[in-house]
Amino acid sequence: MSANTSTEIMLKDIGMVYKTNDNRDVTALTGVSIDIQKGEFVSLVGPSGCGKTTLLRIIADLLTPTSGEISIAGETPRQARLKRRYGIVFQSAVLYEWRTVKKNIMMPLEIMHVPVKEREERAMKMLELVGLSEFANHYPNQLSGGMQQRVGIARALAVQPEILLMDEPFSALDEFTREKLHADLLKIWRKTNKTIVFVTHNIQESVFLSDKICVLSPHPGRLSAVVDIDLPRPRTMEMKNTVEFTNLVAKVRNSFEGV
Amino acid sequence: MTKRKLNFDSATSLLYPLIFGIVILMMWQCGVLHSIFRTDEYILPYPTRIFRIIIENFDKILENVNSSVFVIIIGLAAGSVLGYIAAIGATVSPKFGKGGLTVISAFNAIPIVAMAPVIMNWTKDVSSDAEVRSTVAKIIVVTLMCMASMSINAHRGLNELKPFSLDLMKSYAADNKTVFLKLRFPNSIPYIFTALKVSVPGSVITALVSEYFAEYRAGVGRQIRENILIAQYSTAWAYIVVACLIGIILFALLLAAEGIFLKRRKS
Repeated sequence: MSANTSTEIMLKDIGMVYKTNDNRDVTALTGVSIDIQKGEFVSLVGPSGCGKTTLLRIIADLLTPTSGEISIAGETPRQARLKRRYGIVFQSAVLYEWRTVKKNIMMPLEIMHVPVKEREERAMKMLELVGLSEFANHYPNQLSGGMQQRVGIARALAVQPEILLMDEPFSALDEFTREKLHADLLKIWRKTNKTIVFVTHNIQESVFLSDKICVLSPHPGRLSAVVDIDLPRPRTMEMKNTVEFTNLVAKVRNSFEGV
Repeated sequence: MTKRKLNFDSATSLLYPLIFGIVILMMWQCGVLHSIFRTDEYILPYPTRIFRIIIENFDKILENVNSSVFVIIIGLAAGSVLGYIAAIGATVSPKFGKGGLTVISAFNAIPIVAMAPVIMNWTKDVSSDAEVRSTVAKIIVVTLMCMASMSINAHRGLNELKPFSLDLMKSYAADNKTVFLKLRFPNSIPYIFTALKVSVPGSVITALVSEYFAEYRAGVGRQIRENILIAQYSTAWAYIVVACLIGIILFALLLAAEGIFLKRRKS
């Protein structure tokens, strides 16, 4: 890490307690502290129930934690959300079936009152980035699941966010499509230099993509380890066969507690 | 490939009922239906005779059609708009909305023959002109009927959203108005057509039946009744045919509109 890196996302002692219907407290997260640097690719990895999606939603200001502090480059998550500093990619692409691919990407820009001409340009630029230029005027139901998710990524990037939040974006895709999108995502990341927080339950995926993996364990959801991934960039498919890669996967796997 | 198959499907879906209808008409004209149902040409006049009566009485029939169609269209429009507004209200304030929608849909459970006389009675003082009074009453009955199906379906359309789509809107810091215009309203359009598929035929039936109870004698439904009462079966049949045509034409218009609006949604 060089001297010009700065902390983009600072989580300090985050706790999240839900009330159930019969008024009992359920602790989803407790004492989570993570620092994420600008331009870093960080994964939140863990089994279901470990609170990784909850943590992502807290960063995105879709949930408010019951305790702890968060700062997004010195601002509250709410300020950051209102300034559209986040692009979010969900488990499903969430495309509107009544809009063409291009108009889906233009949708957030309409909300932001970006001039029409610029909307078009930015949408087409994003489509080029995800390699779907020729599908601009198709409707979502004419695309495969992998292509739809790529449109979702293009839409998230169209708002020109500083932070890209991805919640198990490839979990519904087949292995081949997923590997293709891994390569695409890393290429896009290199070009755009976003800070990426990537939620997954797939250890190999997280090792392949990340600079840093935050391992979360369930009951209650907590941070059990932070593993630095020092594999060289750009990452290639061949790296998955190396001893270093396998060792890192094992290291992450051995970091889970109580599973 | 798929296009040709689609055309073939839509062609046969029109062709088969058409052939069936022509066969029935031929059996009717040749007296086969009369022997099957053991009736005579007085109770069940031949199609050619019914057709002749429609031509001969065209002006009078058109006058009654206008009266009925006016009630149907205004009632349908008012009921659908009010139903949609009720659905928006229930979306904005779910606490009161759920109960409100239940009350509205309860109107749907009241039989027309029970509701129509009551509404006729309530609207006695609306105007000194009997025609206006009756028209207002009939429109109200149709409105109540259409409101129910629209409010229930539109409420579903405004609230049955894809997972994460509200989160997505929130991440763009979209306000409620934007969420309505960009997400909820377009999402509800197929549901609007679902509601109209119920309420278009429903409004035709409601208008025609409520004419029975109206003070002022007008409309296709009223003419069917009046002519049967005085044993003018041929004329009654002429109005029955016209009533069917009104229903079929309005439903065909609805399907055409749906085809235009939802062209891109079905794959």
